[in-house]
Amino acid sequence: MEQAAPSVEAPRDTAAPVKERFFTRNKHFLLLAPGVLWMVLFLIIPLAMMVYVSFWTQTTFAIKPELTTKSWETFFSSDTYLGALVRTLRLWLTVLAITFIIGYPTALFIGQFVRNKTVQTVLLVACVIPFWTSFLIRVLAWRPMLGKEGAINIVLSDLGIISTPIESLLFTELSVVIGMVQIYVVFMVGPIAFMLARIDDALIESARDLGASAWTIFRKVIFPLSLPGVIVGAIFVSVMVLGEFATASALSGRKVNLLGNIILTQVGSLKWAFAAVAGVILTIVMAVVITGLLRVVNLRREL
Amino acid sequence: MMQLQGLSKAYAGKPAIVDLSLTVHNDEYLTLLGPSGSGKSTLLRLVAGLERPDAGRIFLDGEDLTPRPPHKRGLGFVQQSYALFPHMSVFENVAFGLKNRAVNPIEDAGQLRRKVEEILELVGLSELGSRGVGQISGGQRQRVSLARTLVTEPSVCLLDEPLGALDANLRERMTVELRRIRSTLGVTFLHVTGNEAEALAMGDRMIVLDRGRAIQIASPDGVFNTPETVEVAKYINSYNILTGETREGRFLHGAAGLAMPAGVADAASYVVRHDAVSVLAPGAAPPDCGAGLEARFIASEFMGSRVLYFFQGTEGEILQVESHLSTADPVTYQSGEVRTLAWDIDEVLAFDASGRRIKQPPAQGAH
Repeated sequence: MEQAAPSVEAPRDTAAPVKERFFTRNKHFLLLAPGVLWMVLFLIIPLAMMVYVSFWTQTTFAIKPELTTKSWETFFSSDTYLGALVRTLRLWLTVLAITFIIGYPTALFIGQFVRNKTVQTVLLVACVIPFWTSFLIRVLAWRPMLGKEGAINIVLSDLGIISTPIESLLFTELSVVIGMVQIYVVFMVGPIAFMLARIDDALIESARDLGASAWTIFRKVIFPLSLPGVIVGAIFVSVMVLGEFATASALSGRKVNLLGNIILTQVGSLKWAFAAVAGVILTIVMAVVITGLLRVVNLRREL
Repeated sequence: MMQLQGLSKAYAGKPAIVDLSLTVHNDEYLTLLGPSGSGKSTLLRLVAGLERPDAGRIFLDGEDLTPRPPHKRGLGFVQQSYALFPHMSVFENVAFGLKNRAVNPIEDAGQLRRKVEEILELVGLSELGSRGVGQISGGQRQRVSLARTLVTEPSVCLLDEPLGALDANLRERMTVELRRIRSTLGVTFLHVTGNEAEALAMGDRMIVLDRGRAIQIASPDGVFNTPETVEVAKYINSYNILTGETREGRFLHGAAGLAMPAGVADAASYVVRHDAVSVLAPGAAPPDCGAGLEARFIASEFMGSRVLYFFQGTEGEILQVESHLSTADPVTYQSGEVRTLAWDIDEVLAFDASGRRIKQPPAQGAH
């Protein structure tokens, strides 16, 4: 009797739950659906459209979906546009290097030298205080600082260090670099300080006990362990600087044109195909930069 | 030989180590037993140079180590958490000290490899050099941590609860291993632990630390059989401690008057080892040379080769009776059953009101 019972129920058992099991088994895809839909609508399709439009035919007042490589040819044969690409890359590297040089010691101080967790948090929040004002105001505030009759020139000449004001401070690449570094350095400090604060003191004590000097400990233990933070910070800064246009136009008096500025002006004059070319190139540059940075450390393992 | 002279350290006014003096001999296994908060980790950190003492000096072979930073002391410190470098392989971890030390680093790759492989073999990890430290087990990590310190040939190796994070099985194996590794290298181990069995089993000598003071420094045998103070007896965890007072040659504990060993007066604590107590049959009286106390049975615990019986005395105190199965079969008592616990008064240790052991005439060793 006991053996017969399961065989009687068996057909019922297999028929009904099949459907149910299909849903149970694939329930997690249901959770994914909204995210996937969102990404397809607002990331995948626009990206594909951008690539597609970059091959459309652009005339002065109209754009036609007839495929041509003319926009691409124009981009790579024009000194202005190639120059903008080179300038974007140069500015990105400069800003990245300076944010690292300023950001790392700051993060080292917050993450390793400040022992009190509350003070650490307070200092990190203090780094974010400039963000309480709007982006544009922060950028424009540099003008009265850097200008010919700006704060820096006044102080320097009052101190007798200079006799004529330094004119190269504002409306040059230098002013763009200064502005961008000030805005983005905090994105470097945060992730690095976070990684540094997570380093177990016992590791540093062990290294000291094993005979290593402070500098060796920094080189061999602290820096390698903070590298994931550096990479995350570098990715933040890179993505934001590569796509920048506002700081560049506000602080260079439109003399420094980055890829972002080109896209803006082309879109402004309805040159969609051409803006798309610049957009595709910018996207490729960012993808290459991020891939390269992720190659340095295995973030999935480290975080 | 390492000497600590009058070491003191306080944290925010709270003393952690108080005027501690100690001589550590060459080639010895010294264990330091203390409950948590007794200052045992602080002592290790002072010796290693990770903390500065408020007073006192540390000498190593006559040289004053006190002003030297940790990396110039030539001591090894094995952290409780092992503190392996997570971004390095087992080999790189072990090679770290030799390669990166400020004093006399080893540059030659061949020599480095030979030394690291030698020590990995000694701790039994020859095959694992290329593994990442995340890919090995807890016991193996502990060996790596030990090898990393020992390869730098420290004159004294400080171990902070080295077996604390291991499971029981591994703990027992490492006990033997640690002793073997130490005697092979002839290096002095200063092993800190909160576990009395570990301290007794491993040390050539042991120190008992209580509230920042060394209350007894002796061989494990000496500490176990003749604890200097009642605190030591408590930490050894093998003694029943009864409190009370002495009146007219008897020890008054609650309503009971217990016979005292000869020649002892003014005892405030009356201490008898778990395995010196026996449970009398109902109606039997303690022997002439013994003492007895009525107590209620609570529970028993079977430990394999021995059984622990827990009784509750009239004053609410817990009394333990340990019976080795080689000498007696396990007995089943009814819960709440009242029995008389008896012991030979020669087995009794008496402590005065300040907690010091009252010296007894040598009749004690007669059995």
